[in-house]
Amino acid sequence: MSFPGESEAPPLLDARGLVREFAGIAAVDGIDLSLPSGGFLVVFGPNGAGKTSLLRMLGGGLRPTRGEVWLGGQLIEAGSPRGRKRIGFLSHQTFLYGHLTARENLGFYGRLFGLNDIDQRLEHRLREVGLFERTDDLVGTFSRGMRQRLGLARTLLHDPDLVLLDEPYTGLDPHAAAVLCAVLETLHDGRRTVILVTHNLTQGLELADRVAIQVRGRFAWEGRSTDVHAHDFEVFYRETVDRGEGRT
Amino acid sequence: MKLYLAQLWAVAWKDLLIELRSRERVGAMAGFTVLVGVLFNYAIDPTLVRPEDIASGLVWLTIVFAGTLGLGRTFELEAQDGAFQGVLMTPVPRDALFFGKVLSNYVILLVVVFIVLGVFGLFFSLDWGSSLGALVGGLALGALGFVAVGTLFSAVSSGTAMGGALLPILLFPLLVPVVIYGTSVTGRLLVGRPFTEVEGQLRILGAFALVALAVGAGLFRYVVEE
Repeated sequence: MSFPGESEAPPLLDARGLVREFAGIAAVDGIDLSLPSGGFLVVFGPNGAGKTSLLRMLGGGLRPTRGEVWLGGQLIEAGSPRGRKRIGFLSHQTFLYGHLTARENLGFYGRLFGLNDIDQRLEHRLREVGLFERTDDLVGTFSRGMRQRLGLARTLLHDPDLVLLDEPYTGLDPHAAAVLCAVLETLHDGRRTVILVTHNLTQGLELADRVAIQVRGRFAWEGRSTDVHAHDFEVFYRETVDRGEGRT
Repeated sequence: MKLYLAQLWAVAWKDLLIELRSRERVGAMAGFTVLVGVLFNYAIDPTLVRPEDIASGLVWLTIVFAGTLGLGRTFELEAQDGAFQGVLMTPVPRDALFFGKVLSNYVILLVVVFIVLGVFGLFFSLDWGSSLGALVGGLALGALGFVAVGTLFSAVSSGTAMGGALLPILLFPLLVPVVIYGTSVTGRLLVGRPFTEVEGQLRILGAFALVALAVGAGLFRYVVEE
């Protein structure tokens, strides 16, 4: 997806002809995606639409069967460390170690990213997600919501240009979801590009400036968030999914 | 290079810290070692065979079995909350990740090696003292090759449906050189043969370790990549 005439600058993220097959079945089936710096794309779609596979390919965690991902003119390849410093990835799994404290977890990831000012960064991020008081507590003692907030701190620790969020609201209570939402709103800084995959239509539309509906590995619909009306988007979404799955 | 070493150390430090807190692997390996020592103690009649004649084989097999038990858990711990996937999405070079894992596994296995020496020394009244340095050197070299191969195949087996059950099947055939030369070195030194007699075998153990490390580092990225 791209938005002609919106920006003359080269896109930050440019994915071409992305296909990923598992045992001969296409989870992602030919997606083109072009996003400028500062873009906030929200991808909706039913289970099994290939949203997670798409995000993992964009983040370099999964090798495409066909197609390429370019980030700021740099080819992102699975298995290669190139370009990873510019990508942050959060899924419903937090990628954290329960036997380490919040500080140790973030410190570990900070060292893998080669950061010099780890202490300042982790303090800033822990304050941002409201976990500074729990800095030296083992993550294994954290609730699901706290782990997810710490996962967000981990994702943003190295100040990535591209933030990929895969259903980050899964399993969160309303308070934790609100904290997460507040931090996600701060990502609207005009510099960072964000792709959020979620089933939560209301929260997704509030954050998005672009929206896509993915069905059976393809974008069945894509547009600006201003093109849709929140109150009837749910009906539109269901119709689009039904059409994409051949139910109408 | 500085960044590479920092990343390597971060991986090893994280694994060792987790092990220090959970004692999951060392606990299982140490428990296994003590039980094997007790069983061998009752299974072998010292009036028929001299313990020092068979101790090297028992020591090495115990290290291999106990080590396999611990190595099998290397990537299972990483699977909790998808942590290894997160590590793979960082810019850490895959060979640094491999060497970091090898380092932490090596430290853990060396702890087990010393437990094995203590247990077998106790149950079989073995005198390690006369050539302890060379003995430990031989065990350390053999253990390094074992850990290098074991770390790679632990990553392979963790991605399969058979999981840990597959690890010994893949690993043991490749450990034949380590067991042959390791038992030879340990056995000869135990019965008081001079160091010069085992020098060549120590070199072979060292060469095996170097080759295993190089091959493992080269192949690791293909094993962990989806």
